Amino acid sequence: MGAIADITTIARWEVKRTVTQMSRATLPLAIVLFILLILVTGFAAKSGMHLQDGMYEAGVDDPAIARLLASDNRFSVYQLDSEKLMQNRQAFDIVVIQGTVYGSGSERGRSALKTVERDYAKYTNRVFNRQDDLYAAYPLWIDLESVKSELDFLSTQSGQYISGRPRSVAPVPEGEVLTIPTPSPTLAISKEELRAELTRSEAANSQITRYTEMLSSSDSALGTFKTPSQLSPPLPFDSIILIFVFIFPLYFTSQFFMMSIMNERIERKGEVLLSTPVKAGSIITGKALPYLLGMLAISATLTVYLRASLLIMLPLIPVIFFFLANALIIGMVSRSFKELSFISIFFSTVATSYLFFPSIFANVHVISLISPLTLIILTLQGTAYTAGDYLFSTSLFWITSAVLFFVAVTNFKDERLFSESSLIPRILGFIEESMSKKHPFFSTFLLNGFAIPFVFMVQLMCLVLFFNLPMPYSLILLLVFAAGIEELVKSVGIFVLSAQDHTFLTAKNLVFACAATAIGFLTGEKLLLLITLSQITESVFGSILFLSLGVLWLPLLLHFAGVFIVACALKFGGRKWFVPGIFAATVIHCLYNLYFILGWLR
Amino acid sequence: MNPRHLSIIAKKEFRGLLNERTILLAVLLQLFIAMFSSFLMVGLTSMYDPSSLSKYSRFRYSIGYCGNDSALREYLEKSPDFNVYGMELSPAVASLKERKLAAVIYVPDTAPDAVDPVKITLYTLQNDLQSAIVNVKLRDIFLNYEKDLRTIRGARLTEQPLPLQLPAKRSGGDFYEFVYGLLIPLLVFMPAIIASALVIDLITEEYQHETLETLISTPITFSEMVWGKVLACELLVPVQAGAWLFLLMVNGIAIENVPSILLQVTLTSFLLILLGALTALHYRERTAAQFIFSTALVVVILFTLALPANPLNLLTRLAVGTAGMEQWIVLAGVIGTGALLSVATQHYAEKIGREHHTG
Repeated sequence: MGAIADITTIARWEVKRTVTQMSRATLPLAIVLFILLILVTGFAAKSGMHLQDGMYEAGVDDPAIARLLASDNRFSVYQLDSEKLMQNRQAFDIVVIQGTVYGSGSERGRSALKTVERDYAKYTNRVFNRQDDLYAAYPLWIDLESVKSELDFLSTQSGQYISGRPRSVAPVPEGEVLTIPTPSPTLAISKEELRAELTRSEAANSQITRYTEMLSSSDSALGTFKTPSQLSPPLPFDSIILIFVFIFPLYFTSQFFMMSIMNERIERKGEVLLSTPVKAGSIITGKALPYLLGMLAISATLTVYLRASLLIMLPLIPVIFFFLANALIIGMVSRSFKELSFISIFFSTVATSYLFFPSIFANVHVISLISPLTLIILTLQGTAYTAGDYLFSTSLFWITSAVLFFVAVTNFKDERLFSESSLIPRILGFIEESMSKKHPFFSTFLLNGFAIPFVFMVQLMCLVLFFNLPMPYSLILLLVFAAGIEELVKSVGIFVLSAQDHTFLTAKNLVFACAATAIGFLTGEKLLLLITLSQITESVFGSILFLSLGVLWLPLLLHFAGVFIVACALKFGGRKWFVPGIFAATVIHCLYNLYFILGWLR
Repeated sequence: MNPRHLSIIAKKEFRGLLNERTILLAVLLQLFIAMFSSFLMVGLTSMYDPSSLSKYSRFRYSIGYCGNDSALREYLEKSPDFNVYGMELSPAVASLKERKLAAVIYVPDTAPDAVDPVKITLYTLQNDLQSAIVNVKLRDIFLNYEKDLRTIRGARLTEQPLPLQLPAKRSGGDFYEFVYGLLIPLLVFMPAIIASALVIDLITEEYQHETLETLISTPITFSEMVWGKVLACELLVPVQAGAWLFLLMVNGIAIENVPSILLQVTLTSFLLILLGALTALHYRERTAAQFIFSTALVVVILFTLALPANPLNLLTRLAVGTAGMEQWIVLAGVIGTGALLSVATQHYAEKIGREHHTG
């Protein structure tokens, strides 16, 4: 009961402090700015965005076509007679002479051609949409049916498929053949509905759709019916833009939380709070609570406003916790405002990339499930996802947030908050504080177990990064990076222990600490695999990241050997041998992996 | 104003940045974004223009063709991208599920000159990179077939669009606009935004850490301190923007007029930095200043983008090499606004400085 009372009191203080501070100083200006924002948005919507004006130069001999091109701001159009154009064609990106378009050979010329092509297609569509006989203008319709394949990630990872048959003979299915009903030859939608939809997609023309039109078919009311020109991979661009609408307020609110934590540390203002009998956990929870509620309220309001399903909140909640946990840690480690700015910019870029980029491939590839945002896109599209998918894409967020909160709570005390040391020693200090001094081996075990989610996150990030490189390079890079990251993380515990107490690394302790590290790492790995055991782990990439499920003693030995090398380097060489030690351990780790991958390939 | 005092302050801030390894973080950030944007480029290009990756272009995809014969089948058989097998629908879809086919097409018995449209059913695999590629390749064939059908039904159209003969399909140029018209102006402009946020941090820090009194008890005046901080942030801009341009060029993106781009960015960032400095001087507290400044920034940038020939547009045009005389007019406008803001900052700083000395 006491804890809850403390939390509510602190939460109330937090709200009161922020509100009074903000309203006194900034409210009038904020209101003015908000009104200005609305005005400017209106102005921008009317005048359009002028980022790409005049990118291309076009020479045209026909006034009608000149008008057609000039309606697109990207072109600077010059009207000349045919002969002059012919002579000066090198001065333009494209020239149109007597109804024929010629592009210059340059990259810009090719791009200008594409743009003309798209503009012209849009223009012809406009003409065709007005036709009475719509089926003469659009004689071909395609109904897209997607079929779910049983063979999944393994064969699709690089867009290959199983082949190796003679070309002349049609393939024969091995499994069961389900009867597929013959599709009806008519469209299920009336002509006028089709026309309305075609006109709607014609009208949508803004800076954003400029990109979407080359990337996607807009998710239209026509369902699976498309004209050939609309046929391209279903990139959920609209949904992705919506995602930014959701993520941006979270980022903004977490900035305030970060600053509130930082403010406690400036000139030891938070000392009063720390001297009260209130527990650190209650202080942090109380301070975080208003921001958590605020974020939830903002997201819920947005969801309702967009008339989307409230199920969107499910994958969003772990993301909210993740933002809060990181804001807390950032507020606690940075020494100055500029450090706070840079770390938070860095964090938000990395986090946004991690969340955003995989979700681009939402309809294309299972790898997109790494990001919880993919689930949001799926919800927006009305596609169902399984509980397993949810667990897979959010478990890392849940666990890392919990670990970060724990680290923050144990470190929320005088000597940590007000220390003046620089970033890396501070972070090491935080880890040191979270480890129990009485049970160094047990806490090494725990540290490594809980480090696993972070390692997975970084490794999945690498997977995303290297995914599109050509095949052997992506594997090699992933191999080296995965091994390097694991070795680095494993050695942190021992590094901290030896930094804390130089006499700690006796031969006996060294072996014990290495064993605790190896066991902790392996346990964490296996436990997390149990949760997320799904598509990723079964692919080639998975086999590098999370090697060998079956045999336990081999990876244990590997983890032990790796950390043992680093520990020995630390013991006999001192700190300056730490990095070479990690390097050596990485090489061994890679060799081990290579041996097994090669064995696997054989 | 003593130039030596300005450089003392600027040097102090640089030392601070170096000590805290924040510069290192900024560099890491740049590398990270550069890596990710190239990831995005490679990924998207391979999805939408598969022939750009040689390993896909050699490949012949197997297609199951079901239903009635049509001109479409001839197109498919002539195409170097596909092997076509005439099949029954059910076994074809079953083979697709086993990945023995890349797609299945069903064509109904609709005459090319019928009143109704020809409705083709296309079966592809869900959540699959390969389907995306096959779709792109099939699209061209469908478009040809659509053109034929449209010609056959041409007499029923009441209006024909202006004829325009476009050159035959070629690859490339897909992401030129994305790179030059969005990525480059945004990335190059980012240092300006970072620098203006930084000047707020630097100024509010002096207030909130209560180091201001010590600083103005030295011969350095208050306004010199402000200008020193502005100078430090300003110097960072061309360095960072230059690093961006360098990274992009390493990635194989040719950029023209690099010196002019740097000049434009540096001068435009000066406006933002002064705006940041004014906000910070007014609020003297980071949360409020950053909040107001970032909101104001959104308003300013949105407004600027809605104007024709704005500085960001100019960055695009400079990078592709189509900027003309108007760049100097824009530059003059930027310098004029900068001069006005400078006067305002100087007055405000002097006023606050007097308050500090008397109070």
